[in-house]
Amino acid sequence: MKKKIAILLAATLTATSLAACSGSNDNAPAATTASAGGQGGAADQGNAGGGEQPAASGTVYPAGTLTVYAMGNPQYRQQYFETWLENHRDIAPDVKIEFVQTEGTADIREKITMTALSGATDDLPDAAMLDPVTIMDLAKAGLLKDETEYLTPLLDKMVDNATKDATIDGKIYALPDSVRPQVLFYNKEIFDRYEIDPEMMSTMEGYIEAGRQLKEKSNGEVYLSYIDPTSKTWRYWGRRGLMPSAGAKIWDDNGEVVIGNDEGTKKALGAIDTMNNEGLLMKTTIMEPALYDAINNQKVATFLIGAFWDEFMRQNCEATKGQWRVMSAPEFEGVGKAGAPVSQYMGIIEKGDNPYSELFRMMWYDFTFDIEAKEEWVNSMEAQNAPYSNPVSIEMLEDPFWKEPSEYYGGMSFREMEGKCLSNGADNLAVTPQDAEADEIISAELEKYVAGNQSMEDAIANMDKNLKAKIGKADVIQ
Amino acid sequence: MLRTLKKYKAPYLFILPFFILFFVFQLIPTIWTVYISLTDWKGIGSPEFCGFGNYQKMAVDDMFWESLGNTVVYWISGLILIICCALLIACLLNSRYLRKDSARAFFKTATFLPNICAAIAMGLIFRMLFDENVGLVNEVVSLAGGPKVPWLTSTTFSKIPVIILNVWRYTPWFTMILLSGLLNISKDYYEAATVDGANAAQQFWFITLPSLKNILFFCSVTLTVDMWKLFNESYILPGPGTSNSSLFQYMYESGFNVFNMGYASAIGVVLILILMVISVIQFAVRRRQGEL
Repeated sequence: MKKKIAILLAATLTATSLAACSGSNDNAPAATTASAGGQGGAADQGNAGGGEQPAASGTVYPAGTLTVYAMGNPQYRQQYFETWLENHRDIAPDVKIEFVQTEGTADIREKITMTALSGATDDLPDAAMLDPVTIMDLAKAGLLKDETEYLTPLLDKMVDNATKDATIDGKIYALPDSVRPQVLFYNKEIFDRYEIDPEMMSTMEGYIEAGRQLKEKSNGEVYLSYIDPTSKTWRYWGRRGLMPSAGAKIWDDNGEVVIGNDEGTKKALGAIDTMNNEGLLMKTTIMEPALYDAINNQKVATFLIGAFWDEFMRQNCEATKGQWRVMSAPEFEGVGKAGAPVSQYMGIIEKGDNPYSELFRMMWYDFTFDIEAKEEWVNSMEAQNAPYSNPVSIEMLEDPFWKEPSEYYGGMSFREMEGKCLSNGADNLAVTPQDAEADEIISAELEKYVAGNQSMEDAIANMDKNLKAKIGKADVIQ
Repeated sequence: MLRTLKKYKAPYLFILPFFILFFVFQLIPTIWTVYISLTDWKGIGSPEFCGFGNYQKMAVDDMFWESLGNTVVYWISGLILIICCALLIACLLNSRYLRKDSARAFFKTATFLPNICAAIAMGLIFRMLFDENVGLVNEVVSLAGGPKVPWLTSTTFSKIPVIILNVWRYTPWFTMILLSGLLNISKDYYEAATVDGANAAQQFWFITLPSLKNILFFCSVTLTVDMWKLFNESYILPGPGTSNSSLFQYMYESGFNVFNMGYASAIGVVLILILMVISVIQFAVRRRQGEL
């Protein structure tokens, strides 16, 4: 009897282990529900290539949650979409929307990749916030819906190059979310106190000279800007900042590594080297309390960075409200470009029978082109010190609302300046599938430079050497 | 074979769940990792066979070698510092000077606390402590008249906070293991040694240490594996470049930041080989000493 019980127990344990390994069938009802949502699919077909707000008449979307992977502070974006859903209960009576906070695009990509690999396509999000490199990889893997037909008729309504970084081999794989320029934030009060003309910062030479004067006149109390000991120096000063505006290249048109001999790279990283060597940059991590304290104590005078920095300033540097102004990023002599814009996209995930594809397009269309709703939401964001970006719709940008003065910028219209700063933007560095790996290699050398372990010349030489050794040749697509 | 299985089906059935889990979650993924290490794969799409390309790349990758060197530093420093600290604290907890049971219980609990704290939370606190500009450690250094030390922003110092966090987190666990060993040593040995006139140091050297040999061996094997798998501590306290990255962390970053799954798998295979070689050496040495 005891033996039988023991065998039974062992068999139960084995069965339990097998059951635990076999995965759950919980998704089955969800899949059925999704299939039942064929109305969405019908809407898909009915509206393909419309280029307008997709018609929703007669379509009722199935109950469920529309999931979007996003970064930054997506809860604020969720507010907009929730309001939209509330106003469209006739077509989506039981649809909820959830913006899942992620650490960044790498995290989003990791989550999508792992879920797709496991075969649990029902668990994939319906849409995700993406950058160009991720779009390239996900599109190649067939995980993004082709938006060409839907977006082509809308291109004239959007700012230049709105879909450029989401276009691969002539097909557009994501909906443009924002195109934000590099700008120069400067503290006018500091410049007034030391009688330095901010206009001199229209060129890189002038920018560095302004730093020298600030240092001299403040007896070293005020820094021109910051330098980060982590990978953010490459991200904000390098890849998105000085490299494009100096016309620098990591790869040539054939994908061969050229960073070691590239004049643009020498210009861009040389400018960082000059500022750092002359003690014009405060060594501190960006987006950390130490830097915010320094800003609030008027020890840092400028930020040459993407327009996204606005939300961080508004949230963390209340003490300097009204002191900041914005101007176009400085240009390098002989190049004449003012920094490259950074684009962000929303990609709809290709996961078979996705019942919410069309619904998400409707929401995106409204968010992008509905002037009244967008303005109401932006006002709410300002009141909450929350993030928002300029629209990609040309018509919306022409509305006087986007030229309204900003209290934080002493009456200057930040929104208007953001739009103006797009006008002379440099081209971004070529996007390649090897970018993430290249960034890791380049950033490591730059971090060692910031740590004082090597000169900038050595850092550039090591970048070149390691890129050649580890990557060799990149697949330059754009 | 079948007759043996039939005869002992109950015990075999009992160990079957372990082997199923072992095959599904360890052996098959390990074999899969070896295969992926021979491919160029970004995590999506089909892996493309590239032979030993990833291993050749590894040979010329400065970041790989730096991470490997760091891991060796963490391993050696961990072995020495953690075992020494754990042994010292275990001896203190077992000391006759700690007479009251309540005091002993309190110190045991207090000693174990760092081990139950979340590694990431502790890492964040250590990051604040070692901040160059506003960290408590530099405040103390400044009060003592020293210059501010760039703990996490220089390649020279960036490994130190990781080592300290490592020692702080792992010492309690090994203290408890060593303490259990100490409690198993018969008091008779110490009484006899006292009668023979041996002092405390001699008792420690000639009674305590030899009696703990097997436990110390177990600790060194476990610690070796733990140190080569070190991730949280160096990930949450990043220094410039890979100046304080562990090999495990570099493997993760190659896989999930750069999405070079083939290369990350190759690093994983190298890690497995290194651990196997070290373990074999450790066991061989013990066998030669006649202890196993």
